[in-house]
Amino acid sequence: MTRYLLHKIPSAILVLFLASVLIFFVLRLVPGDAASTLAGPDATEESIAAIRSQLGLDKSIPAQYFSWLAGVLTFDLGRSFVIGGSISDLVVDGLTNTVVLTVSALLLAVVVSVTLSVASIVWPKRWLTALVNGANTVAIALPPFVSGVLLVLVFAVLLPVLPAGGIPPEGYWTRPDITVQYLMLPAICLALPVGAALTRFLTESLRSELRQPYITTARSLGVSQRDLVLQSALRNALPAAVTALGLQTGQLLGGAVLVEAIFAWPGIGQLIEQGISRRDYPVVQVLLLLSVSVFVLVQLLTDVVHAYLDPRIRIGGAS
Amino acid sequence: MSTLPLNDLARRTFLRGAGLTALAIFGTAACSSAVDERHEAASSSAVPVRGGTLKTAIPLDVIPANFLTNTGAATTIIGLVYESLIRYPHDEVSPQPLLANSWELASDGLSLTLELRDDVTFHSGRPFTSADAEFSIKTYGDPKWTAQLKSTAAAITEFDTTDPHRLVLGFAHPLGNIFDLLDTVPILDSESIEQLATGEKFVGTGPFVLTDRTPNRSLTFERNENYWVAERPYLDRVEVAVIPDAQALVNSLRSGQVQAVTNINYRDSETLAAAGAHTATNLEGAELQIYVGTNVQNPALTDVRLRKAIAYALDRDRIVTEVFRGAGYPINLPWPKSSPAYDESLNSIYTTDPDRARALVAEVGSVPTLPLTYQAGNPYYEATAQIVQANLAAVGIEVVLDPVESAAFVKQLIGAQFKALWVTFHSWAQYTPSTLTVSAYPFNALKNASHYESPSYVTAADSAWQVTDGTSDDALERYAAVSKELLDGLFLIEIGVAFNQVVAANAVHGIGWTKRSEVILTEAFVA
Repeated sequence: MTRYLLHKIPSAILVLFLASVLIFFVLRLVPGDAASTLAGPDATEESIAAIRSQLGLDKSIPAQYFSWLAGVLTFDLGRSFVIGGSISDLVVDGLTNTVVLTVSALLLAVVVSVTLSVASIVWPKRWLTALVNGANTVAIALPPFVSGVLLVLVFAVLLPVLPAGGIPPEGYWTRPDITVQYLMLPAICLALPVGAALTRFLTESLRSELRQPYITTARSLGVSQRDLVLQSALRNALPAAVTALGLQTGQLLGGAVLVEAIFAWPGIGQLIEQGISRRDYPVVQVLLLLSVSVFVLVQLLTDVVHAYLDPRIRIGGAS
Repeated sequence: MSTLPLNDLARRTFLRGAGLTALAIFGTAACSSAVDERHEAASSSAVPVRGGTLKTAIPLDVIPANFLTNTGAATTIIGLVYESLIRYPHDEVSPQPLLANSWELASDGLSLTLELRDDVTFHSGRPFTSADAEFSIKTYGDPKWTAQLKSTAAAITEFDTTDPHRLVLGFAHPLGNIFDLLDTVPILDSESIEQLATGEKFVGTGPFVLTDRTPNRSLTFERNENYWVAERPYLDRVEVAVIPDAQALVNSLRSGQVQAVTNINYRDSETLAAAGAHTATNLEGAELQIYVGTNVQNPALTDVRLRKAIAYALDRDRIVTEVFRGAGYPINLPWPKSSPAYDESLNSIYTTDPDRARALVAEVGSVPTLPLTYQAGNPYYEATAQIVQANLAAVGIEVVLDPVESAAFVKQLIGAQFKALWVTFHSWAQYTPSTLTVSAYPFNALKNASHYESPSYVTAADSAWQVTDGTSDDALERYAAVSKELLDGLFLIEIGVAFNQVVAANAVHGIGWTKRSEVILTEAFVA
């Protein structure tokens, strides 16, 4: 397993390095800059020049890149031009909120999709299959900016049973019952497309497993449908589903930007959006690099889990 | 078929499990509800009630580096935490006492003596003195804060603070708009100015103390127990959430999660007010103006006849009615009705007259397609730009819309880089009129986004500024000269006044504001 991992790491580092170069230089190509945004519409050229030198924007671009890279490698992320705080604080704060939201959504998606796909295979009833398929189609077709607004209108405005947005005012752990209520709408909104995609994927994998000869053999020996699915087919269908889950996690992080905006959830997505629109270069650079790192890590993790679930991969045999 | 009983059993287990999960989630919801905890007991009586929390929301957090530019959340913090020396009422530019009790302007207009209150302390406990007033005015004038009235602050050449409760200011020349400056400059604490620049500490003398700030998420204010006005403020606490998404902001108000917000879309505020649970109030006295700017160096726009054609082509009533839902009125000159320079007759020079506009276009000859730049994503600019485009097309001027991102727009505005036309708001016409021409960049006589240069405009602007008393008859004549210059030069074509609005639940009373749209909650209560 270690050898397998060592084999995978250099390419991950290369991807990260190239991403850092790309992020830094592409951001500099965007028109408009932090100094004039900060100075506001009535500023004179002199005040802008003063602000630019204060922010270090008057140095050459390669010099700015290397001082930034050195900072990142020593975990000194610098200060935000616009928001004024230390970037590490902003990122930790935003990341905590985003992680809580995405992990809840991911758990919800996994629990719902495993339950639904197993249920519809164990009890192959026509109505159940139709229901699951219908729900899946709707969930995949509805983008978060529609489902989110609908959820808010129904559950926060028409039937005011859940908060319209925001995070629990006293923190996540003080009152878990309150936390669940704040999390419910954004987590459902975020989990819908991912859960639906996973359900479809897992249901199909289970169906094709059930057509395998070993299942026919087991069935002829009198093993019940439930045991066939839970003990044999599910275990074999899972590795492929885990890969799909890894890809969906990326979707989840992308979707979080929209969901956070709709539900006023102060996470990383909102931070990136504001950083970009106000040309807060240091914040955007760190966040984009962080997103790339998360993607790389998730892919690495997926490979590892895959290798663990399927020994043929880690010993390099033909699958 | 023999597996049926087992299947039934499994299904029962499954359903039971699902039921328990649902019960666990909704059961907790039944015990204590996040929604109920966010609602205050509310009625619509208007008898002031001491105590309680007001929850509000703003779209953007404070940007500490431009705290003194009157933008974003800075206005929320300044309104609650800070105070100025004097304060203007909404309907005129006549100073009323605040931290200064009384004042006397020398007859030559070259000095001003202010008597300051002696019972005021900063939130840190330190007493407020004339040295603090000097520090605040000087900080405000420092170019690094890029404050709007810094040219007026820079014209104050002497400060006498020998008496801690008397401030004597000496001027380089008479300053007709000196009280605009004193109304605007928040009294800052010199001991914590470094922390203000980084957003860590905001220490003022105002009715509320900023006790907690989580960047990009929330601001929490608590009652200043040592406030110099007895029995005020009424509220114990003000919680401000940062909600950047416009729809989420409206939903938080609609669902009762917050009770008051400023600057939601005019259409949303109209809908909320019509539903009956909320009231929308125009912030009169804090007017904004929407206008079409022209780059007079653009070959086509150099000819003032084309600029006049544009002024005749605009359907100002339609823009005020459709875009601002009637929260405003059409104008030809920047001055709102409360301004000493407002003259009703001058506002009917350019009314919608497509025939006249077409005749002027015909005189000019062939007009190339003109780009019209505006900030993308802002509903007011977008809608206004579309109406302007249609109005101009009707008189034979082809316009192509050029939406740019807000950061790029600001850069083009400061750098005077607009190709031909642009649409945006300006402000500062609600003050002494000379403030607009010496401070607001689009109007600045010496350097402006239109590349408009006119010695007579410079003379008129300076003469209006260097007047002893900004509200005297002499001053009014000088403002009339500025108005004439603006109408003749027509480098900025005014469309209309638009009011900022505060939309609040009916249970919230007593919300006040300054001429800069800073919300004041000293008299506010929830009942």
